[in-house]
Amino acid sequence: MSRAASNVVSPDAMLVSAIRSGDEQAMVLLYERYSSIVYSVALRVLGETGAAEDILQEVFLQLWRSADGFDATRGSLPGWLAVITRNRAIDSLRKRRPEADITDVIGSIEPDFVGAAESSRALEKIRGTLGGMPPPQRAALEMAFFDGLTHTEIAEKTGEPLGTIKTRIRAGLLTLRKAFNP
Amino acid sequence: MSVHEQFADDLSLYALGALQGEERLSVEKHLKDCSDCRHELVRLQGDLALLAFSAGGPRPPARSRERLIAAIAREPRRTAVHLMKRKRWWIALQWAAAAATVTVILLLLRQNTDLRQHVASLDANFTGQREQLLQAKELIATLTSADAVHFTLVAAKAPPQPQGKAIYLPSTGTLVFLASNLPELPPQKTYELWLIPTSGAPIPAGLFRPDTHGSATVIKPPLPTGVEAKTFAITVEPESGSAAPTSTPIMVGIEG
Repeated sequence: MSRAASNVVSPDAMLVSAIRSGDEQAMVLLYERYSSIVYSVALRVLGETGAAEDILQEVFLQLWRSADGFDATRGSLPGWLAVITRNRAIDSLRKRRPEADITDVIGSIEPDFVGAAESSRALEKIRGTLGGMPPPQRAALEMAFFDGLTHTEIAEKTGEPLGTIKTRIRAGLLTLRKAFNP
Repeated sequence: MSVHEQFADDLSLYALGALQGEERLSVEKHLKDCSDCRHELVRLQGDLALLAFSAGGPRPPARSRERLIAAIAREPRRTAVHLMKRKRWWIALQWAAAAATVTVILLLLRQNTDLRQHVASLDANFTGQREQLLQAKELIATLTSADAVHFTLVAAKAPPQPQGKAIYLPSTGTLVFLASNLPELPPQKTYELWLIPTSGAPIPAGLFRPDTHGSATVIKPPLPTGVEAKTFAITVEPESGSAAPTSTPIMVGIEG
């Protein structure tokens, strides 16, 4: 998916624009579209449905309050929501206050995952890519992302050198990228 | 694009929010000055989004949707409220304009109705006056027409006598005079009617010559207003009339 393609005003962009105007129906539509992604990420991080629901509420309410913070014409709304959810869930897991307002976290996400996120084929591809990674690499990546562990914590937990953990995390992310942008 | 290798691994950790303290500050400082690394950070966030999608599967319970809708309903909703205020202001303005328009229309309708009533009143008045005028004209035409047949009723077997009838309204100085059976005038002579006031000299009230039947009329001669009449009289005067009677009256009126 090219950058040029993402410059076209998407249905998400129109929904976000409507939300900025206080359109509750647009918010409901957006929830119907992406609540599964947000809930899944929160549940994966927190491992508890009640806590995941709380994060779900928090993320969508924050979007309602600060829709101006996301430029839907510049990136992927589901990608943005997924990363925001992960960060909020990690903060909750660590019992710390959110480090930043969601509007400050991410300006845009490339590429545009609107189509991919809704496609079970894309999900299979992501899982297939993760499954194809060397287990230590995938483990480092998932511990960093879903468990919110720092590279130092991962190194301590796995007994691997700190530099190795850093490299595995970066390499794992580039592998995912390459799967969608060969 | 080339990412600075010394920051390559740390950019991934920074995107994950895993950097703290000096490491974090160092990366942020570098990002301020390096557009390539800023772009790489954006791409890394996209990579993280792909990783996040791998969690996809379960859907939230239905109650979450209702909970969110209820929560949104409780939100201040600055924009929405602002829009609603603007809407209300605009609606109020539209209502005010509509109300003003209705008021103006009602006033115009009322004014129109008043004008119509006024016009109708004038029209009725005009019609009445026109009818009165027609009646007056008809009356005058009857009195003054040469074709009109005059009959003077007197006691049986009595010879016809000269008669005159003066109808006078002092407040307007209006006079109508009718005469019959008047004797024929000598050449270059005329009859002159006089208003004899209660005080002062006689006032000329019109010249007239009887027709072949001895009938004559004087309608509204020029007279001053407000003059009380003691009586009316008729004299024979030179053809051009006189400012004061020059002969003995041949007829003098009696009130009644």
